[in-house]
Amino acid sequence: MQNRTMEIGVGLFLLAGILALLLLALRVSGLSPTASTDTYKLYANFDNIAGLTVRAKVTMAGVTIGKVTAIDLDRDNYMARVTLQLEKAVDNLPVDSTASILTAGLLGEKYIGISVGGEDAILKDGGTIHDTQSSLVLEDLIGKFLLNTVSKDAK
Amino acid sequence: MSADNAYAVELKGVSFKRGTRSIFNNVDIRIPRGKVTGIMGPSGCGKTTLLRLMGMQLRPSSGEVWVNNQNLPSLSRSDLFDARKHMGVLFQSGALFTDLDVFENVAFPLRVHTELPEEMIRDIVLLKLQAVGLRGAIDLMPDELSGGMKRRVALARAIALDPQILMYDEPFVGQDPIAMGVLVRLIRLLNDALGITSIVVSHDLAETASIADYLYVVGDGQVLGQGTPEELMNADNPRIRQFMTGDPDGPVPFHFPASDYRTDLLGKR
Amino acid sequence: MRKISLMSRIGLFGRAGIDTVAVLGRSAVFLFHALLGRGGIGGGFGLLIKQLHSVGVMSLVIIVVSGIFIGMVLALQGFSILSSYGSEQAVGQMVALTLLRELGPVVTALLFAGRAGSALTAEIGNMKSTEQLSSLEMIGVDPLKYIIAPRLWAGFISLPVLAMIFSVVGIWGGSWVAVDWLGVYDGSYWANMQNSVTFSGDVINGIIKSIVFAFVVTWIAVFQGYDCEPTSEGISRATTKTVVYASLAVLGLDFILTALMFGDF
Repeated sequence: MQNRTMEIGVGLFLLAGILALLLLALRVSGLSPTASTDTYKLYANFDNIAGLTVRAKVTMAGVTIGKVTAIDLDRDNYMARVTLQLEKAVDNLPVDSTASILTAGLLGEKYIGISVGGEDAILKDGGTIHDTQSSLVLEDLIGKFLLNTVSKDAK
Repeated sequence: MSADNAYAVELKGVSFKRGTRSIFNNVDIRIPRGKVTGIMGPSGCGKTTLLRLMGMQLRPSSGEVWVNNQNLPSLSRSDLFDARKHMGVLFQSGALFTDLDVFENVAFPLRVHTELPEEMIRDIVLLKLQAVGLRGAIDLMPDELSGGMKRRVALARAIALDPQILMYDEPFVGQDPIAMGVLVRLIRLLNDALGITSIVVSHDLAETASIADYLYVVGDGQVLGQGTPEELMNADNPRIRQFMTGDPDGPVPFHFPASDYRTDLLGKR
Repeated sequence: MRKISLMSRIGLFGRAGIDTVAVLGRSAVFLFHALLGRGGIGGGFGLLIKQLHSVGVMSLVIIVVSGIFIGMVLALQGFSILSSYGSEQAVGQMVALTLLRELGPVVTALLFAGRAGSALTAEIGNMKSTEQLSSLEMIGVDPLKYIIAPRLWAGFISLPVLAMIFSVVGIWGGSWVAVDWLGVYDGSYWANMQNSVTFSGDVINGIIKSIVFAFVVTWIAVFQGYDCEPTSEGISRATTKTVVYASLAVLGLDFILTALMFGDF
């Protein structure tokens, strides 16, 4: 009889563990059953990706459609080459779409926003987005502002 | 190179060191088969170590330990565990498994080494407990038993597999006269009834001498003397004499080595 | 006072060092014989269940209570710090990430070492001093298989489970404080959390940490019991050693694992 209660106790214990795992998977990390075959790859070259990290989200019109999977330096043209993994459901991006590095909120992390262009030709798996807007670096911004004020004064 | 059949256990040239301290130096001991042999000596001389060497719980630094025609130090770990089926050991404290009741304790070796059906196991356990006089305690837990009862249950467990050799580690320590009498009787009875070889390690002279057929006196890392109890009583060796007669001063001195008494008292510390 | 010369002090150091290496070696051989080699888990499944109960189930209370309290404190502190940046909404992800990556595995391992680890050491040490381990050997049962192995596996299985339960109740405790008490919007608590917590990155890495901790803590606990001096003083010393060594090992390994897993800067 003591054995029975012990076995039941252990069984419940393990069940609680499995339940915890499921909760962590679904409710806490928001895991959704999208297999990796439902995605395709695109590349984008930037002058400056300062602040962008791997696993940053890729959005269009504010909706998350993918994430950044790799950031490398292209040694031929000295630009940063970012690899984007996008959902297959969004496979109708025109070749002249723009990829910009934006900031979420004031303190926020950097993410990539894609806005559509007007061409008919569509970007396929492995294609490259050429129209890019780099990350806003604070020093450049201040420099531009100062330059503007100086040239205004000079007029 | 097998051992003589007349001897159940033979230690040949066995030495044992603990760290740098030599506990035994080139010891030869032969335990005759079918008899009760006592191993005695002053406290701390390593009698229990001898038992452990025989059961291979300790490995000798050199020499051979022959038990039932097998040289134990040469066996592999799994062969050694098999060889122990033929040995039963009664530990000083009984060493019952505290989370099992009396029945399960005695049944334990049977469950481990045999595939006997449950009814047979029950019969054997009842038999063994009857032999030690504790069949009525079959459902009790070890902490409900007195010290003497614990030892008897441990004895029943030790004979569960009908071993050929039974080793007793200080069985008489701290027992009241009745329990002592019971144990003494059991050791002799079991030895004769089951035809086994019994080895009793003890410093209890009277009890051991009363049941032993042969005695070894051990001290200072060697065998000081051997023989039947009568032979040893009349031995010439002064150390054996001191042990057998219980003389407080002799080869083992009363005073721990110290400097001169007078200078200690009168002088500065 | 005995005067110890410098040379003999160095000698003592050397001896201590060699002793430590010897202990490590002994514990490795010990582990090898307990886990591998013939015999599997002695005593079968039933014994494993019994150990899982005494090691895992009996630790549930302290783990759950600690988890709830720590989750609540995290939410409280996090809220006060984040509100100075105007980012109270991020408290959900803060609680979740802290628990999943660090506090879940580490605190659970430390509590486990204190509660279950010391109990294991004392139990095995007691069996050694009452000669039960010797009896097992003489009956022909390998105590490493029959006594040690079930306890090792019970620890390996229980600790990760307990760590997950700790994280879950901590996150829920945090939500009670944040949402019900401090007024963070329920949706943002969970939505921000889901956006920033990745299953493969955070949850799995946390589980890997707790598996590593489980291995180390249980191994130390069980070995200290097996290796102790078979006296009551020896047992209490061994119990202390278990808690101290296991805790230090957990914290040290945590640093190494964190650097490996999350240190891609």
